[in-house]
Amino acid sequence: MVDDSEQGQKELDLVGSYFLKLWRLKSKMAAASSAKDVEMVNLDNEDEELEEEEESVPTELDTLNSSGGFSIVLPDKLSVQYPSVNLHGHDVGVVQANCPAPVKRLVYYFEIYVKNAGAKGYIVIGFTTEGFNMRRQPGWEANSFGYHGDDGLLYRGQGKGEAFGPTYSTGDTVGGGINYGSQEFFFTKNGQVVGTVEKDVKGRLYPTIAVHSQHEEVSVNFGKDPFLFDIKAYEAVQRAKQQTYIERISIPQTASYGIVRSYLQHYGYEDTLHVFDAASQSSVPPITGIHDNGFNEHGVYALKHRKILRKLIKDGQIDDAFGNLREWYPQTVQDDTSAICLMLHCQKFIELVRVGCLEEAVDYGRTHFEKFYSLKEYEDLVKDCAALLAYEEPKKSSVGYLLEESQLENVADAVNAIILSTNPEVKDHRSCLHSYLEKLLRQLTACFLEKRLLNGNQGEAFHLRRVLLAKNS
Amino acid sequence: MSLFWSVIRQLAETEAMATSKKVITRDEWEKKLNDVKIRKEDMNKLVMNFLVTEGYVDAAEKFRTESGTEPDIDLATITDRMAVKKAVQSGNVEDAIEKVNDLNPEILDTNPQLFFHLQQQRLIELIRNGKIEEALEFAQEELAPRGEENQSFLEELERTVALLAFEDVKNSPVGDLLDISQRLKTASEVNAAILTSQSHEKDPKLPSLLRMLLWAQNQLDEKAAYPRITDLFTATLEDPFV
Repeated sequence: MVDDSEQGQKELDLVGSYFLKLWRLKSKMAAASSAKDVEMVNLDNEDEELEEEEESVPTELDTLNSSGGFSIVLPDKLSVQYPSVNLHGHDVGVVQANCPAPVKRLVYYFEIYVKNAGAKGYIVIGFTTEGFNMRRQPGWEANSFGYHGDDGLLYRGQGKGEAFGPTYSTGDTVGGGINYGSQEFFFTKNGQVVGTVEKDVKGRLYPTIAVHSQHEEVSVNFGKDPFLFDIKAYEAVQRAKQQTYIERISIPQTASYGIVRSYLQHYGYEDTLHVFDAASQSSVPPITGIHDNGFNEHGVYALKHRKILRKLIKDGQIDDAFGNLREWYPQTVQDDTSAICLMLHCQKFIELVRVGCLEEAVDYGRTHFEKFYSLKEYEDLVKDCAALLAYEEPKKSSVGYLLEESQLENVADAVNAIILSTNPEVKDHRSCLHSYLEKLLRQLTACFLEKRLLNGNQGEAFHLRRVLLAKNS
Repeated sequence: MSLFWSVIRQLAETEAMATSKKVITRDEWEKKLNDVKIRKEDMNKLVMNFLVTEGYVDAAEKFRTESGTEPDIDLATITDRMAVKKAVQSGNVEDAIEKVNDLNPEILDTNPQLFFHLQQQRLIELIRNGKIEEALEFAQEELAPRGEENQSFLEELERTVALLAFEDVKNSPVGDLLDISQRLKTASEVNAAILTSQSHEKDPKLPSLLRMLLWAQNQLDEKAAYPRITDLFTATLEDPFV
């Protein structure tokens, strides 16, 4: 049986160390991006998460494992020729891309340009799986799909094609795409979609082209050059389709008000909360049912104190914040090697650097950092702070993130959460870490990721930032 | 297929689905949730977007100070927009039209449907206030010509004028026009048009994200049993039903 005070300390650590983790995450990101390019630190960070997860994408044709000797990939590795005379159905010149199509996105797409339709125009664009027989047309064998130029038919694993689109020949640009949202292939000719077909195949798919009569020549564009087909517009239409399903789902009318309100309560944005309440009560029609205090488990606990401390920290008045915290909630700073104390001391140090009081900063660090040096878990963060002294322009250094507003905000959020956790009504301290809004957004993100995982990693993840950047969606 | 067989098939399918569903325990799910990082800054933006779009100008102002989040629109324009909305909501349609034109005359010029709805609302208010003669004159001079241009306008005009034909208007088939909801409908139409003219979205992002959450959960339900959130107000995880 652990005694009560020890148990309490543990719970406080849980809260404090959560915010330390957030700090450490930023430290790592800053280090990683400064390793890439020192100048780009601030610019880069913003968009990094918008990029789809690292996945290799086809860039050129596979020259090793292609064409059972019947076609020639030219030195640019983006064109293919059929030099000889075709004799039967087993001397097709097939070439796959150098890697399978990426899956963690909404749509994959590539294009070919028919330079020369040769003797018979037996040109095919399609998708095949690993181990595909490179002497057979895509679509003739199981688990392969091909849109054939000479007859405009779509072949999918059987000898017989089905009516699909127009034929194509010399001078045409033809595209093949995978829509991971609807689980369909689609093909285009000269910038227009000609048809879609269900993608009933498992496993990774290689963009594939094939030539099969003398003098045929085709070049491929994996996205290095702009596509003829407007892929961005196509994506937007696909997203809008999904959006119409989503808009049909009904939610309680006051849900958003309630969530905004609990957000303001959670973080101690007291002034906003009061004005928001007054406005939503006097609006037409009044927003009712969300103003009872039982609604949020933290509610207005210590709201005034949390507001004052947030403002002090935001203004860089760390001494005052520390003093108030000591007076109002002594239990939170009892252990002077706790995460919260570390964060406050470090912030004080950062503020001294910010205003250029370097000597004072050195003194402060000497007095207060010592006790943390012996603790392995804090070492990297204390080092980050100390490193500020090494630069003439610390803002532009790899530890410049420490001087950003978000660093102060993280400290303010940590103090806010640790005060919430002193509420005797709170049973699980983890509930102090996240607002309802954050819990909902985490659930939303996790659902998207899990759904993708169970779907062979196909499709795009949810990025709040993309939603925030989207205009008039 | 007979009903019997289709039921049998459905049962078999349900069973197959139940057995192939992945079960994710609360502990496993919480681990996944913990790996998700939502930036505070982005949540602040989401809240600011809600305040601004819904027109809580004072709250937006305070939130800017308290959270350091910049609004994505000039706050002064919210005040104007809300004044228009309020005017319609309280029945001062003439006033509202004037204000919209002060804001940007193109809004009504390029949006005949909105203009018609405002004029219709004006007619409704005249009838509500018992100004029968004025109402008739207004209907004939201002609204009828527009009805000739557009069939749906004409139908709406006829419906509105029908208000005059009933003694007990409230219980008449067109009584809904006198309802407060009609004002709110018109008000929100104007509101949306002003936002669009300021190249701002007409709806806040938050409600649509909440819908997306419910949608994503529904989608995942087909493949897995996992802790869900059904009560948006408390964001409580409910254990999977296995």
